[in-house]
Amino acid sequence: MVCFSGHVCVCVCVCVSSVLQAWLWCVSLWPCWLSHAVPLDCKDETGSLIQCTSISQEKLLDRVIQHAELIYRVSEESCTLFEQMFVPYPLHALRNQGGTMCHTKPFPIPGSKSEIQQISDKWLLHSVLMLVQSWMEPLIYLQTTLNRYDDAPDTLLNKTKWVSDKLLSLEQGVVVLIRKMLDEGILTPSIFEHTLTPYDEPSPEIPESVLRDYNLLICFKKDAHKMETFLKLLKCRQSNKLSCLSY
Amino acid sequence: MAYSLSLGLLYLGLLCGNGLVSARSELFTPDPSRGPHFTGCRSREQETFRCWWSAGIFQNLTEPGALRVFYQTKNALLSEWQECPDYTHTVKNECYFNKTFTHIWTSYCIQLRSVRENITYDETCFTVENIVHPDPPIGLNWTLLNVSRSGLHFDILVRWAPPPSADVQMGWMSLVYQVQYRVRNASHWEMLDLESGTQQSIYGLHTDKEYEVRVRCKMSAFDNFGEFSDSILVHVAQIPSKESTFPTMLVLIFGVIGLVILLVLLIFSQQQRLMVIFLPPIPAPKIKGIDPELLKNGKLDQLNSLLSSQDMYKPDFYHEDPWVEFIQLDLDDPPEKNESSDTQHRLGLSRSGSSHVLNFKSDDDSGRASCYDPEIPNPEDLASLLPGHSGRGDNHPLVSRSISSIPDLGVQQTSEVEETPIQTQPAVPSWVNMDFYAQVSDFTPAGGVVLSPGQLNSSPEKKKEEENEKKIQFQLVSDGAYTSENTARQLSTEVPPSPGPEQGYQTFPTQAVEGNLWNGEYLVSTSDSQIPYLLPEAPPAPILPPVSDYTVVQEVDAQHSLLLNPPSLQPAICPHSPNKHLPAMPTMPMGYLTPDLLGNLTP
Repeated sequence: MVCFSGHVCVCVCVCVSSVLQAWLWCVSLWPCWLSHAVPLDCKDETGSLIQCTSISQEKLLDRVIQHAELIYRVSEESCTLFEQMFVPYPLHALRNQGGTMCHTKPFPIPGSKSEIQQISDKWLLHSVLMLVQSWMEPLIYLQTTLNRYDDAPDTLLNKTKWVSDKLLSLEQGVVVLIRKMLDEGILTPSIFEHTLTPYDEPSPEIPESVLRDYNLLICFKKDAHKMETFLKLLKCRQSNKLSCLSY
Repeated sequence: MAYSLSLGLLYLGLLCGNGLVSARSELFTPDPSRGPHFTGCRSREQETFRCWWSAGIFQNLTEPGALRVFYQTKNALLSEWQECPDYTHTVKNECYFNKTFTHIWTSYCIQLRSVRENITYDETCFTVENIVHPDPPIGLNWTLLNVSRSGLHFDILVRWAPPPSADVQMGWMSLVYQVQYRVRNASHWEMLDLESGTQQSIYGLHTDKEYEVRVRCKMSAFDNFGEFSDSILVHVAQIPSKESTFPTMLVLIFGVIGLVILLVLLIFSQQQRLMVIFLPPIPAPKIKGIDPELLKNGKLDQLNSLLSSQDMYKPDFYHEDPWVEFIQLDLDDPPEKNESSDTQHRLGLSRSGSSHVLNFKSDDDSGRASCYDPEIPNPEDLASLLPGHSGRGDNHPLVSRSISSIPDLGVQQTSEVEETPIQTQPAVPSWVNMDFYAQVSDFTPAGGVVLSPGQLNSSPEKKKEEENEKKIQFQLVSDGAYTSENTARQLSTEVPPSPGPEQGYQTFPTQAVEGNLWNGEYLVSTSDSQIPYLLPEAPPAPILPPVSDYTVVQEVDAQHSLLLNPPSLQPAICPHSPNKHLPAMPTMPMGYLTPDLLGNLTP
């Protein structure tokens, strides 16, 4: 149960099968998605609005994919850094589990390859956008928490800062892509409610905040992987439709 | 609440079950000491995965079906445990999850249960992408990039293709590769950096060595490498080094030959100089600066200039009283001296009475510029000339000269000159009216000098003269063709004094010594009869009317030539000697006579 849209608040209860879910979501969220988005502003040195230099769709997609790849790699590095610094060894295995406590998304994203291959372009893009937008706030939160650590390495702080910035530009790119590929506008900022449930401290040695932050990093890494995968699939489809379709 | 519960359970599972770590590292190694447990789960292409287990020590559970695998996908919504979708028939204790059941980004938990006893022996949780071990790349081959100049090293480019099972094109898997190589049968593999493309260059391999190259891959941002590909052999035979060294040898040879040629040319061109350097000529005895040829054949004026530039006489020889002996007073010819002009004025001499004409040539500097060396009068004599003087040391015996010289200096010198004689002989009034020049006609046995007309025994002077003469003689004897009048005079003591022919005056430029006393010129007369040592067969001098051998320098003209009294038979020979030929020289005792000059003078 998530209420996420800023202007049109639609609360939808989602359940059952993935396809039905997706379809329902598409239908239900349509009004939100139709709302007008703030276009990208191109400003020159004086500050007046000028025409943005145009870029081909293919190039834009490449750039977006590069962004996603970088974000994914940096998220993995941040997770490793945090793990080495603050997480005791036995709990490293938590990583293997991919973060069981990741915050829920408005709609579940299919995990099997076959299912993903059946997702439409539109859906791919929108899920990417949704993912990006869902992580903006938690990353800012993560930055503040990391600053409170006594001996957080500078690289870790820099990486999280960097990721936040890149996420913004990724969002912008995806918005433009959506506009170009799908001919629709989107509302750029969207509000996702994140329920960061407090954890019961499993052990006195490990503070809850550490676990929470670790979990956050793991979840973010997973979602970054999702973004990258979707975008690459999209690219594959753009260049060569046949080989990317499920067999 | 649900989250905390699951977390707690998870943690418990971690603490109790060791299988979690094993999901990553310990694969395919069943631990016999344990009970039934999972030995590992793997996925090759992120689309399917398999899990294996072992019964462990519980041998009674080895029969199939005794142990069963249940899994649960941990999504947001908790689902119930489901049994393994496919127990592989061919492989024992393997559970295979096909595409339908494989979901990435979801965590699985599997349990090993014995249904009969309803005991869960083992549990492990993972996500599929964390257990992916990609297949090895295929199509590994190499191409030679280049061989180094020396032929000892070479570079290759290794290429491969991603494993066919991995769907790289779709972006389902992003692979990175690692190339390793080693010398064949060595123990240590060289590892190169991760490469996201499908080719890599290897640099710096040695020729004549066989290398093995292999490659493996893993998913980017994950840690599990796949298996290595098959090794390929790389070998490049060493190119025979003849070709490479041949040009070097040629270049070396040609370089050496060129150098030798250059050296020979150099030697031949600079032969003379080299001869001088390596075989310096033995110096013939000669006087520095004087060309022996010139002495034989040169002109008089050149000789004069040469001689004036010579530094042959020690300055300290005549340091004390350099011009003592050169002062000759001629007291009998007062009227002849009246024509001296400005020098007299400078001296403050009265034209009328004074018959002493001291015409000195004095330079304000130490260089000599005139051809005649008038004899500088004794400071005592000067004192006699100039009444009312104060005595001083004989520092500057000179008197000023005319014309171009600094009048002040002349006056100064005049004053100095004035001062000097007073000390020595404050009262020589009797000489005021005497000429400066007088001829020595005879020597007394006591060592006195007998001067012709108006003689006065000046023994100390004579003694000094004699001493100096002796000194000069010793020095001059060694000087070859040169002699001085002093020597000549001395030598001619045996010769009956005869005035001899009126010879001209040979004036030779003297050198002014810095800070020395001598700064004047002096006249020297030559006489044939007085140089028997040079001309042993000198004819006896004919008896002539008693004309004084000396004449007085009347004036000095602009060219620094001395104008002598006309009555002398011999014209004044005044070679012009340019100033510049006269550097500072030590004083010369007397004039010089060369055989040529003597020849000229001999009538």
